[in-house]
Amino acid sequence: MFSKLVSRNSKRNRKENGLFFGSMLAAIIVFYIILALPRQDVMIFLSKMESDAVNKLMSMIPVFYGMALVILFFLIYYASRFQMERRKHEFGVYLILGMRRSKLFTMLLAEDLRNSLILLAVGLPVSLMLSELISLITARLVGISIVGHQVSFSLEAMFWTAGGFLLIKFAAFLILSGKISRQEIDSLLAEMPKGEKKQLPAPVYGASLIAGIICLIIAYTSVTRGEAWIYVRQMTAAVMFGLVGTMALFWGLRFPIGLLVKAGKRDRQLHVFHFRQVEETVIYQSGTLAVCSLLILAAMCCFGSGVAIAGFYGKSEPHVLDYTFAYVESSEEAAAIRQQLSDHGLDSRFSDLFEIKIGMVQSRTGEDREDVLKMDRLMEELDGMQPAEISGRLLNNMKYYTPYLISLSGYNRLLAAADMPELKLDAEEAAVYMDSGFSSEEMRQMLNRILETKPEALLDGDALYLTGPVQTTDVVTDRSITLAFALIVPDEMFEYYTQGECEIYLDGVLDEKTIQKASLMSAISDMNRELDKTGLQYESYLQNMGRQMFYMVSASYITIYLAVIFLIIANTVIGVQFLMGQQNVNRRYRTLIRLGASYKTLCRSARKQINWYFGIPTVAAACSSVFGVRALLTGLLSPDAKEHFLQMIMLSIVMISGLCVLEYIYVAAVKKSSDRYLLTLTELEREE
Amino acid sequence: MEPILEIESLKKYYGKNPNQTKALDGITFQVMPGEFLGIMGCSGSGKSTLLNCIAAVTRPGSGSIMMKGRQVLSLSGAELADYRGREIGYLFQNFELLDNLTGRENILLPLSLHGVPEQESRTRLEKLASYLEVTDVLDKFPVQMSGGQKQRIAAARALILNPGIILADEPTGALDSKNAKALMEKLAGLNQDEHATILMVTHDSNAASYCSRILFIQDGVLFHELRRDIPDETRPLFYERILMMMAQLGGGSANVL
Repeated sequence: MFSKLVSRNSKRNRKENGLFFGSMLAAIIVFYIILALPRQDVMIFLSKMESDAVNKLMSMIPVFYGMALVILFFLIYYASRFQMERRKHEFGVYLILGMRRSKLFTMLLAEDLRNSLILLAVGLPVSLMLSELISLITARLVGISIVGHQVSFSLEAMFWTAGGFLLIKFAAFLILSGKISRQEIDSLLAEMPKGEKKQLPAPVYGASLIAGIICLIIAYTSVTRGEAWIYVRQMTAAVMFGLVGTMALFWGLRFPIGLLVKAGKRDRQLHVFHFRQVEETVIYQSGTLAVCSLLILAAMCCFGSGVAIAGFYGKSEPHVLDYTFAYVESSEEAAAIRQQLSDHGLDSRFSDLFEIKIGMVQSRTGEDREDVLKMDRLMEELDGMQPAEISGRLLNNMKYYTPYLISLSGYNRLLAAADMPELKLDAEEAAVYMDSGFSSEEMRQMLNRILETKPEALLDGDALYLTGPVQTTDVVTDRSITLAFALIVPDEMFEYYTQGECEIYLDGVLDEKTIQKASLMSAISDMNRELDKTGLQYESYLQNMGRQMFYMVSASYITIYLAVIFLIIANTVIGVQFLMGQQNVNRRYRTLIRLGASYKTLCRSARKQINWYFGIPTVAAACSSVFGVRALLTGLLSPDAKEHFLQMIMLSIVMISGLCVLEYIYVAAVKKSSDRYLLTLTELEREE
Repeated sequence: MEPILEIESLKKYYGKNPNQTKALDGITFQVMPGEFLGIMGCSGSGKSTLLNCIAAVTRPGSGSIMMKGRQVLSLSGAELADYRGREIGYLFQNFELLDNLTGRENILLPLSLHGVPEQESRTRLEKLASYLEVTDVLDKFPVQMSGGQKQRIAAARALILNPGIILADEPTGALDSKNAKALMEKLAGLNQDEHATILMVTHDSNAASYCSRILFIQDGVLFHELRRDIPDETRPLFYERILMMMAQLGGGSANVL
């Protein structure tokens, strides 16, 4: 009898809270996928290339997992509390019939456990399949040969998924059942009337609404202008303004909704009723709605900007060099490397192998390194140029640059490898070099206009003329090594100012024939294997690409993971709250039926309410996300990547629209659930 | 004069043999326009089932319910909803006001449900509110009203669309005697002044004494009928007769075990 009761109750719970169980299923899947991340093909591939960074990411997985557990605990606690509240009367009846509290506790525990196990039984196989699918798709997308595909099944991930899930379910259950068991039978049996919420005068809510909007405007302007990204204090203030603004906005929403109740076409079917329902929700749940809206906003920002940044990461970098060997300090050492390569018969594999020298000015006049280059004319000209924002940024940056010098001969070899025209300099001329990571196209064009006039500068007290156009070709393979500002100078001048104190990089470009035999990737892989035998230290384009790919993959994984978690929580809270609320006020719907409301009319009204209920936080989040994504892109992108700003924004909008579609599907599910519930109310009943 | 409501051999059984309950077992009666008809009976006698059948909330097993010459049992969908809202006005024991709507909004709810422009009924609303003495609480929420006010708001809601018949299910059940008396006086007044047709189910002999005719139900069948001899019979006298009938309905001394 007892087990039958447990089985029937748990079945009823699943049926009545299908939405909640759906969300739990999604949570299990998300848990497993993040935990099985190290077993994904892309990650296995990357760990060979970029083991440090991959390990760093992997070590962060438990943090994300733990964070998700904590957030999901609150979700489970919240949704289960609703369920328990609804069943209070039933518990009272069990107790009054003589059931012992310990037995009631056991029954509830058994129900909970049964449902959790069913969820795991369904969720784990689904997550295994999904994880496998993601592994295959990402491998295909990044172009890894799927010959090396490994099954992503991870026993450890399964264990942690099941363990974590059961743990939070059990913790929430213990707290809730503890609360229930402390209540007296009469309070369990009594229907608790919902106390009247004290209402303040309408202008107070109107003022709160306006204050909320002002706070949000302040927050968004400060983050999109980029001011907030400079100082922590300003960022904290911006975030605080954002949070307070959202809360105040939702709290003040009852003012316009109150107006909507009174105004508008009142003759429309149940217009007043459904706006009163929405108003009630806003009055009783404004805080929850605000939090949900913030969660949806976070999901949109993560998803929108994360994918955009990942998508455009390193997009503009042209590929010239395949290899750079560890820097040495003298030409003899460079020759030794060449010799070693030739000893192993590897030199013939390169179509080009050349040295490029980079060094700092060793001042003869005793000037500080920061002051060794004086570009007063350039600065003066820049000062008056429009747009002021660009010239301002250039001026600001150039004040802090400590100039490196690059030898002309090496750089020209690099240009030749890149099929670019040779750079010609007179004896007293220096070409300006700026890495594309530190300058945008607009900045370079502005500088080029000044450089056409060959402005005079002082290098360690000697006059020289700066010339353009600004050079940007990468001097080494490793994209992590960048030169913010440098001067390309004739070799004699280089030797003079560096006094022989320089770093020599040996750059290599693989022979066309070697590449044509296989793909570039496998050619480099083969070469790497050969080079590893020589004991030489080197950086290859593949490692570099691996690094780019790693950033791309990790950025997209983490942002999508967080976005999904946030979205699940927000939607479940809103959905469960709506459906439970609907069940709590079932008397209202019964009265409407008695007054002649048809099933269709009721469904229409409930659907409208759902639109409003989900719409308010989602629309607020979507509006905010436009600024949020803009702010994130402003703060996180390098100047060069900002050239793709518009494209990124577009991509973000596409992503956010995608999320909105997901949201729409969820809303449709909630509507279906509500229709089903209303149908049960319209069925003829016996009332004796 | 044609009857407004005709009930013919109405049957409603619950369950299956041998545990079958015959809630209604072939009830036949008519309600004339402008009549104030009471239906009395003990708990479980079938009076609420009867009211639910007329309100089209419960479908009877067999028989017929004709409202203004139209068969109620054949209605479905929009017609049924329209019938519930326009042909009948329902007064509940527990008022069933929507607690998140103001008094005025509750009264206007049937208009919004049946697509009637508000302007058309504005005068009627004011007249009803003033007659039922609820003008002061029109803009208050149910939680801010007394039980009597709530029931009078509910009465205004039942009357706003000027229905053919008002079905009242124990309307005084949740009221104290003072408020019950006030409500019954208002209903009787509406019946006399506006010729509203009222069908009221009640336990309360006092409330029933306001009716012009009372049907007594026992075990699903009509057991007896009392008619008040208006104007010769005063209400207290009619009340006495009802009490006597109720004693018999309980089985009288013959039923004492």
